[in-house]
Order: sequence, then C-alpha cells, then structure tokens
Amino acid sequence: MTLAALLQPRLLSLRNVVRRDRLRAVTVTGLVGLFWLACFLLFTRVLGYFHGLGTFGPFLTQRLLALLFLTFFGVLLVSNTVTALTTYYLAAEVTPLLAAPLSYRRLHHARFLETVVASSWMVLLVGLPALLAYGVVYRAGPLFYAGALAVLLAFLVIPAAVGVLITTGLVLVFPARGTRDALMVGVGLAVAALVVAIRFLRPERLADPSALVGFASFLGAFGATGSPYLPTTWAAETLLPLLGARPGEPLFYFGMLASTAAMLFLTSAAVVERVFLIAWSRAQTGHVRAGAAERPLSRWLAVLVRPLQGPSGCLFAKDVTVFLRDASQWSQLLLVSALVGIYLYNFSALPLGDGTPLALAMRDLATILNLGLGAFVTTAVAVRFVFPMVSLEGHAWWILRTAPVPLAQLWWSKFWIGYLPLVVFAELLVATTNGLLHVPSLVTVAFLLTLVPLMAAVVSLGLAFGAAYPRLDTQNAAQIATGFGAILYMLACLALIALVVALEAWPVSRLLWQARSIAGVAATRTAALLALAAVTGGGTSLGAFWVAKRSGLRALARLGGT
Amino acid sequence: MIRLERLQKTYGALVAVDDLSLEVEPGCVFGFLGRNGAGKTTTIRMMVGLLEPTAGTAVLGGHDIRRAPEAAKAVTGYLPDHPFLYDKLTALEFLRFVGGLYGLGGAEAGRRARLLLEEFGLGRMAGELTETLSQGMRQRLALAAALVHRPRVLVLDEPMVGLDPEGALELRHLVRRLAGDGVTIFLSTHSLAGIVDRGRLVIVGTLDDLRARAGSNDGSSPSLETVFLDILHAGGDGRA
Repeated sequence: MTLAALLQPRLLSLRNVVRRDRLRAVTVTGLVGLFWLACFLLFTRVLGYFHGLGTFGPFLTQRLLALLFLTFFGVLLVSNTVTALTTYYLAAEVTPLLAAPLSYRRLHHARFLETVVASSWMVLLVGLPALLAYGVVYRAGPLFYAGALAVLLAFLVIPAAVGVLITTGLVLVFPARGTRDALMVGVGLAVAALVVAIRFLRPERLADPSALVGFASFLGAFGATGSPYLPTTWAAETLLPLLGARPGEPLFYFGMLASTAAMLFLTSAAVVERVFLIAWSRAQTGHVRAGAAERPLSRWLAVLVRPLQGPSGCLFAKDVTVFLRDASQWSQLLLVSALVGIYLYNFSALPLGDGTPLALAMRDLATILNLGLGAFVTTAVAVRFVFPMVSLEGHAWWILRTAPVPLAQLWWSKFWIGYLPLVVFAELLVATTNGLLHVPSLVTVAFLLTLVPLMAAVVSLGLAFGAAYPRLDTQNAAQIATGFGAILYMLACLALIALVVALEAWPVSRLLWQARSIAGVAATRTAALLALAAVTGGGTSLGAFWVAKRSGLRALARLGGT
Repeated sequence: MIRLERLQKTYGALVAVDDLSLEVEPGCVFGFLGRNGAGKTTTIRMMVGLLEPTAGTAVLGGHDIRRAPEAAKAVTGYLPDHPFLYDKLTALEFLRFVGGLYGLGGAEAGRRARLLLEEFGLGRMAGELTETLSQGMRQRLALAAALVHRPRVLVLDEPMVGLDPEGALELRHLVRRLAGDGVTIFLSTHSLAGIVDRGRLVIVGTLDDLRARAGSNDGSSPSLETVFLDILHAGGDGRA
C-alpha cells in the first residue's frame, strides 16, 4: 500500500465535504483568506516601520525573525505532541490500518504526515504571510522565497518528530487517556502563560522609538538572539543572508536544519516501528481507578441537586459531572482566565485620567463601547462553553431523546446551566471595568440591567447555532468551538451586541453628560433615559432570545439520535 | 401493547419504511427480521421517538408516540444498535442519571442502579468511567439502562451485537423472563418474527407460521435464517 493510498480517505473526505457544502467551503476559504491577508498587511506594516528606524531597525527585525521561529517551535512542539497522541494511538482509523498487511514503518509515515498537517496549518497560516512580508520589506530575490519554503518544510518536521517520540514514550509509561488529559491541561496552562507574558511585554511600547532599546534588550533576555544549537537559530540564519540583511552561511545552516529533520524523522520511524504494537496495546487499556466505589463528586452533586424536582436535577448533575471531568474544558478555562486578566489589565492601563476634553470624550466612548466589549468577551466565553453543549451530548443524544422529557425542558436545562454563570461573569466584568473607568453608577446600573436579557439572547443563540451545526464526532470542546457554526454564532452575537450598543448609545451618552452637568437634572428625565435604554436594548435582546429559542428547539427536534 | 399504524418514512424518492402496520400483544416477544438496509432500525427509531415518521404512527402501551410522546416514552425501554454512552460518567452515575430522566427519585434510582449493575455482572465496575468499559460491558450497561424504570415495552435494536456467547445466552434468558413478567419485547436482529424488506412488511406470524409459509413441507425444521431467505426469495407479501 502506497503512502498516497493511505492518505486517500482523508483527501476524498475533504473533497466530498467541499462538494456537498459549497457555501461552507467558500465562507471558510474567504475567512481564512481575509485572515491571511490581514496577517500579511500587519507584518508588512510593522516590519516596514522597524526597517525605517535607521541602523537599529534592521537589527530589531532580525531579532524578531528569530523570535518568530522560536515561538513557532514552542507551539509546534506542544501541538504535535498532543496531535500525535490522537493520530497514532487513539484514532479509530488506526485499527483497520493495523489489521491490514502494512508495515509499521509505512503506517508511521502516513500518520506522521497527518500529524504534521493537523498540527502545523495554523503556524503556516501566520508564518507564510510573515515570511512573505519579510521578503517584500527587504525586497528579497526569488532565492529567498524558495529558501523560505524549504526552511519551513524542514522546520515543521523537527517538532513533529520530537512530538511523536515524546508521545510514544508517554504512552509506554502512562495510560493514553490520562496522558491526553494531562497534556490538554498542560497546553492550556502553557498558552495562558504565553498570552499573559506577551501582554506584560507591553507591545504598545513599540510605537515609541525611545522605548525600542529596552525592548531589544528584552528580546535578548528572552532568548531570541538564539543558541547555535537550536533549529530556530538555523532557520533564521538561513534566511537572513538570503534576505540580504547581512552576510552569512545560509547553506551551512540549511544543511544543519535539513539533516537534523531527516535524522529525527528516521529516528521516530525506527522507534515507532519497534514499539508501536506495545504502545498501541497499552493505549487501548483503560485505567481502573475506583472499582465499585462511588466517587465523591457524585455524592456531593446528589446532595446539591436534591432541591431540584424531576429530571432537572439529574440533567444538572450530569452536565456538571461531564464538564468537570473533561480535560479540554479545564484547558479552555485556563485560557479564558488569562484573557479576562488581560482585559482587566488593559482597562487599568488606559491613559484617560488627565481631565482634558479629549480625555473625557475618550472616556465616554470607552464607557459606551465597554458594554459591547464586555458582552463580546462573554460571547467569546459562550462560544467555548455554551455553543458546544449540544455537540458534547454526542452520539449519546439518543438517551435524552428517548426519555420522557419534553424537548423544551432539555432546552431550559441547558439554558440555565449556561446562562447563570455567564450572566454573573458578564455583570462582574462590566461592573469592574466601569469601576476602572470611573463611570457614574447610574450608567453602570443601565449596563447591568441591559446585560440580563442580552446574555439570555447570547446563550439562546449559542444553543440554537450549536444544535443547527452540531459536531457529534468529537468530544473536544475546543475543537467544536472552532467550527463553521461557531463562526456564524460569533458573527450573529456581534451583530446583536452592536445593535444593542447602538440603540443605547444616545440615552447612555445623555446620562453621562448629565452626570457631569453642574446644574441639577430632573429625576424624571434621568428615569426616562434609563427606561429608554432598558426598553430599546432589552427589547431587542428579548426578541433575539425568543427567535433563537424557537430555532434552537426546531434544530434539536431535527437532531434525532444514534 | 405495541401497535404500528401505517408507518411510513421517506427520504426524498427513497422509501425507507412503507406503510407498515402490525400489532404485538402484551407479554409477547416480537422478532423483527430483515436484510441490512431493510428499514428495521428506521422503524424502531420512529417507534421510540428518535425519528419523525412521514406518515402513520406507533402506539406504545396505549400512548401515541406522536401525540403523547412523553407518556409513550415513559413506559418504554430502548436499546439502540450502537449504544453510545456518556464517557465521563461512571456506570453507577449513568444508571442513576437515566433513572432520574424517567422520574425515579434519587434514592430509588440509586437502588435500582446498584441492583441492575449486580444483575448484569457490572457491580465491581460501578465506579468506573464508561469510557474504560469493554464493548460488551457497555452493551450490558445500556441494556440495564433500558430496564432501570421497569418498562412495560422493551425495544431492542440488534441486542446481540457486541455480546459474548455467555452474554447472548443471558440476554435470551432475560428476554424470556421479562416476557413472562408481562413485558412486551420488540427486537430486531440478524441472528434470529415479522420480516421486513425494502421498507415493507413481507410477513408476520409465529415461528411455525413462518416455517409453513416458507414451504417446509418435508417435516424437517429449517433454521430461521433459511426461512428468512426462502420467504424473501419467494417475494412473500402477505400476512401469515
């Protein structure tokens, strides 16, 4: 069996998906294209800015190239390790391949290619426009572009091979599912730490040339100057001379990169060939922990849900149990916590305190936008936790559909589980950020009132889109949250939030103006403005909630079961 | 106890189930035999409320699945052909959860769950996540879930799939015992009597009726598989 034949099912599946749903294919391609273009323009602009900073600029862009490769390497290493665990040891399609007259080496090659593609596409999405931008800014010749492609290919192989070796070692020692869960939480922690670290670098300092020296010294401390033993340094040292940035020995460094990639690929093939069956067998064995004993979580939840009547209690206990035992949800919680921390930090760092008319106008604008931003941050949380709710029922949906529980009750159960934490989250977020902005309490009250129906609509939309675009084939919430339906859900929420903010902008701006007014303002006028804000924003949200609930119930009814 | 009334399911031009009517008396075991793709699972999914019929309806325990779905489901236990479970629940939690869905109180659901786990040989795995159970154990657990609320109607879709010979034998004994207790059982199987072909009920009757219909006149007792193939090849289209 050739490698091409082994890859055929994946390629044919992709072709069939494109043929059957052209609209989705076109939308996704369009969005990816836009993202790619935006990355290219951003990199070109930033690099062009640095490049124009005299003698110091090119030094900085060279350091940034090394930092770029270092970041990619870290991301790829983690991503390949997690992906290899699935593609080599947990994927269902490995079973027929094992039963086929196929050597382990060939199986490794096919799985390796799949691992590289699944792990590296995101890096390519950012890396290719970045390298292209370098070429444009430095007016590089065709040799640079050919070299960049060759460097990227060799560069992608190295973390993939290391990832396969790490995964195989872990599976040989620990149960596969435990390894996957630990890796997922580890990845969440690493990404959260990276995001926080990047934010605390205060990249806004880059706009100020006088701060660039400090930034460059930071890059040196961060390791971007590069150890000569790292593939990231070899990649950068290959490309910089090809860019014409400075003289060097590109052939030598490319030779280092390519030979290391080849050596690691062959090593991973040899190791997998030798131990694959042992590792695979271990990965299929479950990890027995509790035996006949009941788990503590189960006991506590049984007490907690006792006041809830009927099936609501058992639905709540089930959803909470499944959530808490799902490592992918923990990983997402870590990431969301980091993003919220950054969001709050950004507000505390806003330079709005000098009391000038411009600063006051900026504060008013920030206040009005804060309602939208707070709601949108909460939507970003909802896309990770509410949108996947229906999909996470997975193929076990039949259990709920064949039970004597009305569909509406199932919907309400999911709604409350999503709504209560999210509305509390949104209220706290907006109240805290309004506090940081020193917003008058009346406006904060108007915002908090607006969020009650707005969050209901956001959750209702999440359930509707989640049921209309279910992904029953995956149990990874993070994966579900990146699908086509999730993108549409985000867009729908964005439109709703923008509409609500636009409707409330006028009454809120009047309230802000009144709060600053020296002359007293009639209480009736204030009450009227508050009522206007609540009726326009709240009414729109309730309408969206109702429409989404109806569509959600219809989509759930169509869902059937396995 | 089970009545299918002119049940029909079409997908565009494709007729999956065509005007299917039958009745099963209380305490009967009704075997539903057919080729792959004959419409058995589609019929069952319409019966238990997983699929909306194009026309017709199913009445379970006197309750119409289309007009009173909750009442019909409350008296029915269902085991699908590939029973997917919640991976992150333990066997005990899963049974308690299903019991709760069917209206059992917390203590009662817990008692029934423990009892069924012991009965199905899963007692020592009560605290294990279902993702760690073997396929046969998961099949047993799903069957236990179908019985947790003491249903009057039991619908089993290919219940032998995934069971070892011992498990299959235990299932036969269980089916007999439940039928003896008055539970009406509707089961589809490849390994076992109404015969459905291309969505139409070809024949329905007792095992002896089917054998007679298949034309076994030589006094021998042909296997059910032989009877099945003979009837399909003869293109039978009526009731026995």
